[in-house]
Amino acid sequence: MLKAGEKAYCAALLALKRKDYLSASEYFKQAAPYFKENKEFNLYSETTKLLVAVKRELGTLEHDDKLEIEEIFTNG
Amino acid sequence: MSNQQSLQSLETLLEKFLDQVVNLKEQKLSVLEGINRLDDITSMSGQGVEITDHIGEWFADHNRWLTDNSLRKSEFNRISEMLSNIKSELEKEGLASPAQKKISTEIDRWQNNPIKIDKSKPTRMTLSRPPEVSETEKTPQADTISLFIKKLSKMSSMFVDSADSKQHILSVLEELLKKTGTEANKDALILSAFIIYYLKQNGYKVDPYVKKLKEAETLFKKGALHA
Repeated sequence: MLKAGEKAYCAALLALKRKDYLSASEYFKQAAPYFKENKEFNLYSETTKLLVAVKRELGTLEHDDKLEIEEIFTNG
Repeated sequence: MSNQQSLQSLETLLEKFLDQVVNLKEQKLSVLEGINRLDDITSMSGQGVEITDHIGEWFADHNRWLTDNSLRKSEFNRISEMLSNIKSELEKEGLASPAQKKISTEIDRWQNNPIKIDKSKPTRMTLSRPPEVSETEKTPQADTISLFIKKLSKMSSMFVDSADSKQHILSVLEELLKKTGTEANKDALILSAFIIYYLKQNGYKVDPYVKKLKEAETLFKKGALHA
């Protein structure tokens, strides 16, 4: 039987094949605890996460053409 | 370039990268998909769900794996293990229908496959020593992906360092090109080429920088020779 992490990684790659990036990102999140030391996994996972964030931002910009950049200072 | 255009450009780049990942893993993905589906069928079988049609379809889709050498031994063994579980469940029901008997026969065919017969043969290992090469002649063969990730990370830090206090990417490029020649720095050379290509894709006129890159490359080669 496949382990939960393996199934999630597999589902993430299959979601990437379908270009369903949001699902892929969710599956990568589920698989993350099992593959946190795997550089290849981390690269695909982070790239997908970034792409989802970019798409979300673009979706917002379609309604509002301004891009707000928030700066966060941790120590004042 | 507006923020929206920048984001669209980044979106295209990331999608292209992920497409290439999928293309690169096409063969492995197909195997993974098949194993994942068989795993689902095995779970269903354990829960007493009727799986005859599902497993029949699975065999129809994946029987070619027995002959086209697309499976690694570890993958074949996992499939074989799942098929054993399915067969046990079918036998619990007494192989009542002709379809179940056919599936049982098909499972036997998989398990008697030459891949598994090979496993029973004693493995002979031959150790051979490659010709000796000096440290500088050695080419890194192992884990090219890790090496590339490391290199990207190093170049990213180099870019951030060079960009400090500068107002425009062209100033960063100028500094990197200078560093390429004066320090014989290969990372600076690669990063400069990367930036020039990025600028070209974004409508900048890059001809003068291509010329400078070539000059820097010549200086780099000379510097590397004398290092």
